[in-house]
Parts: sequence; C-alpha cells; structure tokens
Amino acid sequence: MTTDLETIGMLRDSLERYAADNYAFNDRLGMLKDSSGYNEKVWNDLAEFGFLTLRLPEDMDGLDGDANSVGALMEVVGKYLMQEPFLISGILSTTLVARLGDAGQRERLLQGLGSGQMLFSCSLEHADDCLLEDNRLSGRLDLVIHGDAAHGFLVAVRTGAGEIKLGLVNASAPGVQRNPCRLLDGRGAARVVLDNAEVELLDTPADGLSIEQHIDLLVDEANAALCAEACGMIDALLNTTNDYLKVRTQFGRPLATNQALQHRMADLYLLRQEAFALTRAAERAISQPAAERSRIVSGARAYISQAARKVANEAVQMHGGLGITEELNVSHFYRRIMLLNNLLGGRDQHFSRFVESSLGAA
Amino acid sequence: MNNSVLDKAQQLREAVRHFYRNEMPAGLRDKSHRHQVLDKQDYLQWMQLLDQKGWAVGHWPKEHGGQEWSLLERFVFEDELARLGCPWVIPFGVKYVGPVIYTFGSDEQKRRFLPGIVKTEEFWAQGYSEPNAGSDLAGLRTRAIRDGDDYVVNGQKVWTTYAQWADWLFCLVRTSTEGKPQSGISFLLIDMRSKGVTVKPISTMDGYHHVNEVWLEDVRVPAAHLVGEEGAGWTYAKFLLKNERTAGAIVGQARHVLDRLTLYARETQVNGEPLINQPLMRNRIGEFELRFLALEVASYDAVMAMLEERDNGGEASLVKIRGTELYQEVTDALLDAMGEAAMVFDPAALHTADGLPPLGPQDTGGILKEHFYNRANTIFGGSSEVQRNIIAKVVLGL
Repeated sequence: MTTDLETIGMLRDSLERYAADNYAFNDRLGMLKDSSGYNEKVWNDLAEFGFLTLRLPEDMDGLDGDANSVGALMEVVGKYLMQEPFLISGILSTTLVARLGDAGQRERLLQGLGSGQMLFSCSLEHADDCLLEDNRLSGRLDLVIHGDAAHGFLVAVRTGAGEIKLGLVNASAPGVQRNPCRLLDGRGAARVVLDNAEVELLDTPADGLSIEQHIDLLVDEANAALCAEACGMIDALLNTTNDYLKVRTQFGRPLATNQALQHRMADLYLLRQEAFALTRAAERAISQPAAERSRIVSGARAYISQAARKVANEAVQMHGGLGITEELNVSHFYRRIMLLNNLLGGRDQHFSRFVESSLGAA
Repeated sequence: MNNSVLDKAQQLREAVRHFYRNEMPAGLRDKSHRHQVLDKQDYLQWMQLLDQKGWAVGHWPKEHGGQEWSLLERFVFEDELARLGCPWVIPFGVKYVGPVIYTFGSDEQKRRFLPGIVKTEEFWAQGYSEPNAGSDLAGLRTRAIRDGDDYVVNGQKVWTTYAQWADWLFCLVRTSTEGKPQSGISFLLIDMRSKGVTVKPISTMDGYHHVNEVWLEDVRVPAAHLVGEEGAGWTYAKFLLKNERTAGAIVGQARHVLDRLTLYARETQVNGEPLINQPLMRNRIGEFELRFLALEVASYDAVMAMLEERDNGGEASLVKIRGTELYQEVTDALLDAMGEAAMVFDPAALHTADGLPPLGPQDTGGILKEHFYNRANTIFGGSSEVQRNIIAKVVLGL
C-alpha cells in the first residue's frame, strides 16, 4: 500500500493548518502543568480528523496510509512540539491490534482507539522483564510513555519457550500498579509493576509473519516515524535560528553578517537535507525485506540522532542566554530531541545495528 | 621553574582533598555530590566553611585577609574542588568585586565592603549584561546621571545570577554617551534594597531559578559608591574579567563528569557485561580521556605562562573553549549511556534530600539539571565565539 503524494501533501497541510491555529507555543507552558501533559481537546480533534485510523486498512474503517503518510504528520508533530499520544496510541497501538488481534478483538478495540476514547500505550522493548504464566503477567515495564493516562498496555513478552507474545493488560485491572512520572518534554509516563495481572493475548498474526516479526516491523515503523518527528524539529530550529541571526545585533551589525556563523548555519542546513532524505529512505524501507529494512532504519536513526543533537546544540548556542530559557521554544526543542534520542534505542544501539547489518556479525 | 610554587600548589591540593573527606559536613557533601539544588543557606554555609579554612579569599593580598596564592595555587584550588564535586565558589564577591574594590576602590569602600565579602556576610550580584549588550558588552545602555551627591540610574540588566539573594549589585553603567562606547562606562555599587530596584526571575530549562532580570528605575546611588574614576569602568571590568577567566574550575568540572561517566560505564551491566567493555563505549571514553589529557597539560602550561608573565592573551580562551566543549560532550555521552533513565525529569525533586529518581542512579536528576544549565557554559563569561575572536585578533593578529 502506497499513499500517493497528493494525499500525503493534503494530510500534512491539514495538520499544519490546524496546529498553526490551535497549537501556539504560548499555550504550551500552561498545558505542561496539566496532569496529562497534553491537550485533551486537540486529542479529540486529531481523532475527529481520522488521523488515529491513518494506518488502518479501509476494511477496518481506516485511511490506509503508508509509512510516508505517518511521517508527513510526524513532521508537523515535531515542528509544533505536539504532546498528544498520536504515535503511541493512534499509530502503534491501533496497528498492533489490527495486525495481531482476531476479528473479535479488532471489532471490540479499534473503534475506541480510532475515536480516541480509548488510549493504549506500548511496551515492546522489555520482553525479558516480564513473566507470562496461564494468561497472567508479572514483572515490570520500566518506562511507558503516556502510561500515566493509558487505559491499556500492549506488552511484548518472551515465553519460557523463547517465543514472543503480545498481551493486552487493562490498566485498571487488579495486580497493575503504575507509578507516574514526567518526561523531559513534560509528557506523562509511568513505570508499571505487574503482579499476576490478567492479560489478553493478541495472537492472530496476519500476512504469514510471526508475532515477533510483526513487532520488529512495527518498531522499525515507529523508528521511521521518530526520524520524521526529528526532521520537523530540526527544520523548526534551523528556521528560528536563521531568523534570530538576522535580527540580533551585536558589535553594530546583525550576527548573520559573521561569516563564521554563516558557515555553521550552512553545515546545519546540510544536516537538515540529509535528515529528510534519510527519513524518506527509512519510510521506503518499511516495505522491504527485514534485513535491509532494519539496516536503513537504524542507519537513519543513528545519523539523525547525531544531526538533531548538533542542530539543537547550535541553536541554543547561537541564541545565547535566551536559548536556555523556558520562554523560548528553543529549549523545548532541545529537551524533546534529547528525549527522542533515547526512545526505542539510542544512537549507539542503532549505530551498532547498522554496522552489524552492513558488515555481518563480527 | 620555581619548585616551591609547585610544592605549595600540591600541598593545597592535598589539603582540599583532606577537607573534603574529613571536614565537609556530610549533608552538604551529599547534596552537592548528587547535584541537588543548593539554597542560599547551603551556599552561606559553604562560603563560610571556605573562609574558616582561609580559602575563600586565598588569592587576595595578605593585608586584606588573603594568603597571596600564586596563580597556580588558585588554579589547583578550583580544579580540585570541582574534581571532587564540591559546590562552586560563588565568585561575585570574592573573585570579582572584591579585587576591584581593593585595587581601585576608596579607603572608605575597602573598609565598608571587604570584610563582608571575605565572610560572605553580604551577597553580591553582577550587573553586566543587558538585553542588547551580551557578547558586545560595551554596547550597554543603563544610564547613570549625576544629580547632586547621587547618581540616578535607569536601565535593565539581564542574566543576573542570584540577584534574588543579593544585598549588593556591582554594576556597569553609562555615565557618558560621548566618544568610544567603552569610554563612557562607570562602575557603581548599588544597594539592592534601594527604591526602584526590581528583580524578575528568568526560568531556565533545568527548572531552577538561577538568573534574573534586574530593572533599575530612578535608583539613587550615592556618588561615594562609584568605584575609582567616572568613565574608567571598562578598565575595571577588563581587570575583573581577567579574574573571571581562571581556568581551574573548568578543568576540574570536565574531570568530574568524565569520572562519573566512567563509573557509570563500569557499574552498569549490559547483557551480562559491564558497559565499559563494549567497544563503542570504550572508544568513546578513550577519546575523552585523550582530550582531557590535552586540556589538562595545556591548561597547566597556560597557568605557568601567566605566572611567569610570558602569556600572549590567548591562554584563558584555550582553556575555556576546550574545557567547556569537552564537558558538554561528556555529559551528552553520559546521558546517552543512561538511556531510558535520562528521559525522566522532575525539577521539584531536586529541592528535597530524598527526591530520588524513578529510574537510574540516585544522581540522575542532578546530572540532567547540570547538563541543561551547563549548556550556558559556552555562552557566558565570553562565548566560545568571542573566545575564538580573541585568539584570532589578539594572538594571531588577524
């Protein structure tokens, strides 16, 4: 399934227009004080637009969008520092249910997820931290983004036989204890402790892939989406910094007239171009065989992690003291990029994966 | 090279270590070690402890209560404190305005202000930067106009560290708009309780209140609080800046965080093996060690050049550029290594002794706080860009 460019452009434009009108940075500091760390009204609007069914096929009442269309929206999410669980619940959780749930589960869960009434979080990286016995789950999920607000957790767990299963745990079930905390960018999260909590398995993989293969694929899709989010932030930081250099005057002339700064900005621009190109490549790679897919996706994440950090550091530096204040969006991008660089694997992890799939295991 | 200078510096280093291990109150040591937020009382206690050791103003002349430390002793003192993870020596009184007052001030000013600085009985803040005068400090506009026995001051200062605690502000003001921008600047001591002084906090991304805007509206300052001559403020500011750019703390801070990274990598197991055994981590720490070695020996050479008065004006810039950049990159690597644990941040927890992070080692929140705030290390006190300008102009003659 490939979404055509026109549709992708329309998706991006509609979210961009919406965010420009409804997601002003000035409202952010108030929103961060709210308990969930995101805007409920915006969340409902995203559902209203159908964005939470973007990745579902048409026969499940979805928009049938591809990785590229997810990326288009994630760029806007990054650019406007949107806090809502669009990726976690709206894309990843719905996709997992659609691909691994049976007809009854899809029937029961997708409507709620697609309408935003139900919010799921995922824990796909801690498969060895939990024990599955007789449809009961015990263990810990160290950090679940939006886990403070979620109604359910989709948990990958390795069985005694070494097989990966996907379970759904109701957040309010007995034996589920969540300890909420705040992330660097103000979004909520939780550490979750499971003590013999009831779990419902999603055990009907589509397309002839195993559950593990499905989860690997989904994690790569999520990584591609994070690349796009980083691109949105890189782009915004580059533009903000460029504008600032033109208006900030020191030593009787705009900072922008310093050749040393011009060259640094040119280098940041090169990183921006590479980041966008790598993101598009990662999105294309989603439909390729697993080995090539993970090579490109991890390569993109490794490169973009470093690029985003470089851009964030330079944006703070060139804004001077203003760069570290709360009042300016630069420090908010900075923190979000720091967070992003640890989500679903840090730079070193992705770099190692890239090296191994490029050169073969040592 | 003078052996007694080296010996004395080494003795001081050992004395600082001994003090840290045996004399520093455990509460303060622990708070500082975990980079918890220190309040005014903590800093008062800290500065007064240093005073009791004779270290708060060790670099001052004996006649004003100092020990006439050499530049090397001064370097070593700050280096060792920072290596150990002690609180910083709040510089505004003892390092900045104190030496300006005993060098250029009137006898009355020395009598009035120096004892309170030595004992940190009065807190000082620095009124230098303005919204349009950052790196270009000479562009400052805060105006002081003589009116009888007073100056009347109007303007705005920014990035004023601890203004919320300060009793006094040493302040660069414009007393004349004639001639070169540098020539119309004067150095005033302003009582923070004066009518017309307003302090507004600036929140920074570490969630802590360090810096402020200070608004001055028709503030009357007795002319007796002008230091030295009217219009000579730029000379005093440059003298002060020379004191600001002692390099010890920068080197020690880099060492401290590199030790923290190495410890973390040794203590953390990944797939049954210490993180430090992973080739990528090993390589990264190795590169940092190499850069630290270069920083350390070059800093030492820089201090010796200044001590022996064969410096060329670029020494302090070298230490600041290399030291602050290394520091920032090492904290980047530390947070990378911490992974998931470094995604959680709760500034409020840093104010409480038992505010432990949900994930990662006890000092996780403190490491994040330091990381955020120390993004400014390459900005304040002459940004890295200004330091490179200094090398290009002063040393290379470009």
